[in-house]
Amino acid sequence: CTKNLDQVSPNSVVQTNFWKTDADFMSGLAATYKVFHDVNNGYFGVRGIETTNGRGDDFFIRNDVKDLYQLSTFTNNATTGTPGSLFTGFYTAIFRANQIIENAPLSALPDASKKQYIAEAQFLRGLNYYYLAMNFGSVPIITKVPVERADYFASQSPETAVWAQAVSDLQAAAAGLPVAYSANMVGRATKGAAIGFLGKAYVYQKNWAEAEKAFKQLALPSGVAQSPYAYDLMPNFEDNFVKTGDNNAESLFEIQNQNVGGSQPWAGENANESLGVTTAQEFAPTEVAGWFEVSPTDKVFNEFQKEKAVGGDLDPRMYATLVWDYPGATYYNRPFTDFKLVFGYKSMVRKYQNWREANEGIYISEINEKALRYADILLLYAETLTMQGRPAEAYPLVNRVRARAKLAALATGLGAPQMLAELQHQRMLEFFREGQRFYDLKRWGLLAQEIKNSDKVGREFFTAKNAYFPIPQGELNTNPNIKQNADW
Amino acid sequence: QAITVKGKITDASGTGLPGVTVLLKGTSVGTATDVGGNYALAVPNAATGVLLFSFVGYKAQEAAIGGRSTVGASLAPDTEALGEVVVVGYGTQRRQDVTGAIASVKAEDLRTQGSNTVQKSLQGRVAGVQIESAGGDPGSGVRILVRGAGSLNNNNPLYIVDGVQVDNINNLNPTDIASLDILKDASAAAIYGSRAANGVVLITTKGGKKGENRIDVGGYVGAQQIAHKIKVLNASEWAGVSNAAHDNAGLPRLDIAKSPETLGAGTDWQKEIYRVAPMQNYTAAASGGGDNFTYSLSGAYLDQQGIVKQTDYNRWNLRLKTDFTKGRFRVGETVILTKEYWRGMAGGWGGQGGNPVGSALKMIPVFGVYAPDAVGGYGGAYGPVVNVANPVAQLNLESPETNSNAAIINAFAEVSLFKGLKYRFNVGYTNTFGAYNDYTAPYALGDAKGQNALFNNADADLFQNRSQMNYFLQEHTLNYSTVVGKHSINALAGYTYQNTKYEILSGSKSGMPTGIQQLDAGITNIASGGNAYQSALLSYLGRLVYSYDDRYVITGTFRRDGSSRFGPAYKYGNFPSIALAWNVANEQFFKSALGVVSNFKLRGSYGILGNQEINDYRYIPLIASNTNYVIGQDQHLWSGAIQTTFATPNIKWETSKTFDVGTDLGFFDNKLNLTLDYFVRRNSDVLLQVPIPLTTGASGSPPYVNAGQITNKGIEAGLAYNHKVGDFTYQVTGTFTAINNNVDFLGTGTQQIFGGQPTHHGASATVTQAGGPIGAFYLIKTDGIFNSQDEVNAHSRDGKLIQPSAKPGDVRFVDANGDGQIDQNDRQYCGSPTPNFTYGFGTNMGWKNFDLSLFFQGTQGNKIYNGAREDLEGMNLEFNYSPATLNAWTPDNHTNFPRAVINDPNLNSQTSDRFLENGSYLRLRTLQLGYTLSKNLLTSAKISACRFYVSFDNLFTITQYTGFNPDLGRYNAGSPGGGILDRGVDFPHVAYPLARNSLLGVQVSF
Repeated sequence: CTKNLDQVSPNSVVQTNFWKTDADFMSGLAATYKVFHDVNNGYFGVRGIETTNGRGDDFFIRNDVKDLYQLSTFTNNATTGTPGSLFTGFYTAIFRANQIIENAPLSALPDASKKQYIAEAQFLRGLNYYYLAMNFGSVPIITKVPVERADYFASQSPETAVWAQAVSDLQAAAAGLPVAYSANMVGRATKGAAIGFLGKAYVYQKNWAEAEKAFKQLALPSGVAQSPYAYDLMPNFEDNFVKTGDNNAESLFEIQNQNVGGSQPWAGENANESLGVTTAQEFAPTEVAGWFEVSPTDKVFNEFQKEKAVGGDLDPRMYATLVWDYPGATYYNRPFTDFKLVFGYKSMVRKYQNWREANEGIYISEINEKALRYADILLLYAETLTMQGRPAEAYPLVNRVRARAKLAALATGLGAPQMLAELQHQRMLEFFREGQRFYDLKRWGLLAQEIKNSDKVGREFFTAKNAYFPIPQGELNTNPNIKQNADW
Repeated sequence: QAITVKGKITDASGTGLPGVTVLLKGTSVGTATDVGGNYALAVPNAATGVLLFSFVGYKAQEAAIGGRSTVGASLAPDTEALGEVVVVGYGTQRRQDVTGAIASVKAEDLRTQGSNTVQKSLQGRVAGVQIESAGGDPGSGVRILVRGAGSLNNNNPLYIVDGVQVDNINNLNPTDIASLDILKDASAAAIYGSRAANGVVLITTKGGKKGENRIDVGGYVGAQQIAHKIKVLNASEWAGVSNAAHDNAGLPRLDIAKSPETLGAGTDWQKEIYRVAPMQNYTAAASGGGDNFTYSLSGAYLDQQGIVKQTDYNRWNLRLKTDFTKGRFRVGETVILTKEYWRGMAGGWGGQGGNPVGSALKMIPVFGVYAPDAVGGYGGAYGPVVNVANPVAQLNLESPETNSNAAIINAFAEVSLFKGLKYRFNVGYTNTFGAYNDYTAPYALGDAKGQNALFNNADADLFQNRSQMNYFLQEHTLNYSTVVGKHSINALAGYTYQNTKYEILSGSKSGMPTGIQQLDAGITNIASGGNAYQSALLSYLGRLVYSYDDRYVITGTFRRDGSSRFGPAYKYGNFPSIALAWNVANEQFFKSALGVVSNFKLRGSYGILGNQEINDYRYIPLIASNTNYVIGQDQHLWSGAIQTTFATPNIKWETSKTFDVGTDLGFFDNKLNLTLDYFVRRNSDVLLQVPIPLTTGASGSPPYVNAGQITNKGIEAGLAYNHKVGDFTYQVTGTFTAINNNVDFLGTGTQQIFGGQPTHHGASATVTQAGGPIGAFYLIKTDGIFNSQDEVNAHSRDGKLIQPSAKPGDVRFVDANGDGQIDQNDRQYCGSPTPNFTYGFGTNMGWKNFDLSLFFQGTQGNKIYNGAREDLEGMNLEFNYSPATLNAWTPDNHTNFPRAVINDPNLNSQTSDRFLENGSYLRLRTLQLGYTLSKNLLTSAKISACRFYVSFDNLFTITQYTGFNPDLGRYNAGSPGGGILDRGVDFPHVAYPLARNSLLGVQVSF
């Protein structure tokens, strides 16, 4: 009977028998991508969307989930849970990417396969460091799989080093990834996605020259895509935020949401997990059985009305983004007057909602989250040029975005400050609920000003430290080598 | 002149006693009785000889031959000298030889008629053993803590039923139990080595008795009702508070609250879900035996409906136990078959109400129960309110049902090799087959037409699983006992192997036609799953008991266990113990005191026990599958697999070192008995999933490490007094247990383990860390209410407001760490869920044909976090509120209850000491009154005994605790620590209130 004391799990593969075949590495990649989607820890999961958008001057979150309310009213602290979940998610993906990066060279696979898997894993690792730098600043950089217990306790690196890690990973990814995939592999990281995020990483570091080099690889000065890329703006702005617009020409990288797998969107990582998202259900109004967790502020509602479209109507992006009491307004197949505005604000969210249906159905939305759109590339390219004192070169890029919004071509002769102001205005309208506003304000140095002049609940509690999340208490409790960020 | 004297020696009932020693007094001439109790002895002088009859367990008797050729005798049992026999691991011992701390409960002490499970009837009866209910739902079990919580993993004791290890004893029929022996210290438990650190509960089921053929039948019927409801507001009151809360927040009032005065009482949701529930129980048993054979056969049926409508439990038991002797061979077996059925309730439908008990508290009384036109037929919450499900709909539309069939089988063969040496081979087998079906009908719970529904289920859902657990045991033991003069030796050596296998298969589908509950009828959401676990334990064991002159006893025990749960270098653990006992009362010098002190024993023991209750396979890194994603233009499933957790190749056994000193005292011919023990139980190398940094990327399920030490120190006392005055007999019993639980160190030193979530979104209420008890309450402290803006402004640090969001009427929190803000780092120690002491006391009285028993039980000094109040007194969200909110602070009425304000910007309702309450209670656990019909009446009907009784459980509870029940009934065996970190946290989402039972029963023997 002694040999019966050597029990091996019948339920799973042992690690030493893994990392051999293409299928192993593809499974590993799926496990790494999917963290962005995770219901609790995913940067693009429901809590992630609420966390990244909720602090903007354009967003309100009610006190149903205390953590989110605290975040959106700037009364959060290190023990507020949601940023800790995102922090956990980033490092979960990094741990997984590191496994691929370490194990691929040891496998007997062809070099081309190894290169692809490593580049893809580096893209994912780089993107996670990119979001870590944006949100937390100074954090540990981990590029190896821990071997011993002592390896669990990493120390922080300065924010610049975190950005540098993101940049180097994204550069390696750009070098190793293909421009496109076959139809059955769509959704994986491409060369264009790596270059796009690389450019954005430079923008966040105000390294305008390098940013310009990156954007130039993707777009011509006219705003038309640079060959071999085929990116383009979708004819209708709204095409990006509906089910049928998944993986469209405007998209450089997106998080795939589809009700496949199990039936439970809250199940966690197991076979029961549905790979759709519940974000739309959380945002939908109660009249259609939604959970009415958020509302746009009137600041963004008013911002949309500052400039009318050609012909005198409102900016079509406003109709795609918000719904309010305008003649003929419908929402979930009902007149908007059926709905009650319960937070004292004037509008509700349409963007990313399945608002052309009767309701959010079984709570599971299948609309992909667009992590990087070509419109973002164009506007950042324009900003990059403007910041280098060449606002004139920004015109064709901005006008492409404006034209799609049925706005007249921009009056000529704007200086850099005016051009920047235009870009700031456009970005606020273009990217509502896309997790950009707060971080744009941060890099423009306008956070305090724009939050204070908004009608956001809790604006009076904003202080400079809110530009970053604190290092989560869960990390401080477990890691003696880490320190809380300054100000927190 | 020489003569052969013959005779028959019998017991009091006239049955022949085999093996009685017959000795001619003053000589070595002697013999023993045969199997029929007969003897024949040649004596030299029939005129003057005196015969001495002696037999273990009976009072010796002398008889002068006086020239007779036939001398018989009837021996009376010697209850005082012998005492009882105590079941110890792998054998029995005379009480006076026992060196360890063992508490024994006999069948006659288990007045279990009012309890559906064995353990509940033990509550408060055994010193050193804390028994807490695991909920009021029918068929629910209990949490048993022997000498406090020593582990952060599994704190369940080891249960052995007739030699076979079982997971729990909830499914046993209480009237089948002959004795229950709880091994508390290392000396007693060490023979079970690695699994004994939490104590061992040995259950012996009833066997037949030689010469007896009897039939016992019994039955009771009863009713149960909720013991205590939690008060909430009616519709009109709720609307008033809701309006005030919206007004204070500057938000529009809810439409449904527009005119409070017209709303009336509305729906009383608690009234809608509770009922007076019937229960019934029937038992029948036949037992008896001859010289070489005994048998006991019994059957039982219990049907207990729950006080929450729809919930139900029933159980069938069948048990057979026989024992057969032939020459030097003895064989026997126990077979216990159990069939159980549960109808549970929905656990929550994704909303914020939880199960129907929790939803009934929070559901706004304005909403209606039924909506005939809606899918499913039930109404629900609608509008901008919190999504709390209609509890009546939850109960009726989802039916979680569990069927479990269990077999516990043990068979043994014993052979006497030569005098005093026996070999015994034991085979045990248990098989538990579980079938779970959970059907949910389609519904839309909203307004009268099913519109605006917050809860929708378009298709019927069915989830099923089938699980099987097999446990196999084989044991070989050699037992040698001998008496040489005043020296008595008992030695045991053994080898055991056990193997546990578990597997589960599950499947689910949606879209069945309404009412069809088979998976084949489903069309969408097709899912299936399954997994398996296996573990093995291989052990060598030995025990030596040496006793000198019934005065000095020494016991040494050793067990070596090998477990499949640990890596190659750490599989084996050694668990020795040593114990001494001194029967002072048997000393010559003590004889003079015997008139008052009839028994006096001192005991001391020290030993090491183990705990291996962690998950299987944790020492090898595994690849987790189903880390899935989506790929392709068609967006199909992309199945993922990767290592998600770290392995722990070098963990070893958790060990528990226990030191115990105790004394057993008897006074006045053992009318008064007292047992006292002091113990120190130190668990080291505590197996713990010490949280690892989030930056590892695998913090979700951290690896086990041997991290930490937990010490329980305690005293326990048991007291019993028996007396008889004429026709009046009475017995008074009491137990007292005081345990101090302390975590000496943990993990990296500053390690904190959080637990005890009290509400849907609430922060954890307990922290386990070095220097405090397990699961201690660490909470933000409150310091009254701000009565003015000046007071808000005064609450500042370095010119900055500590609570910038506060307004007059909000709660002032204590900035404990002085950092100028209120957050979870301001939590302070506020108390422990572990009582300072627990106690039980009761009495059994008899007068002529009447008998009465009363039993009280309670705890003192523990705290409970009342999660229901955190929700119901919050006024931050749109659900129902507590009556206390009617007294909320307003500018004109400064009370000590915070103001009403939706969104609660100051977080008045956050997890804080506001909701921590005194959890002490004293409960009348049982009151039973019986009447036994007189013998004369019965003889003609050929009935040997007949008793009628009425019994009441939980008649009253004296407590300051305001929740359903201070004996919480929160138990989650699946969570870390078996729920030990949640122990004092009352979370109504998972509650089932306690019932008050009234029974009428009869017991008849033929």
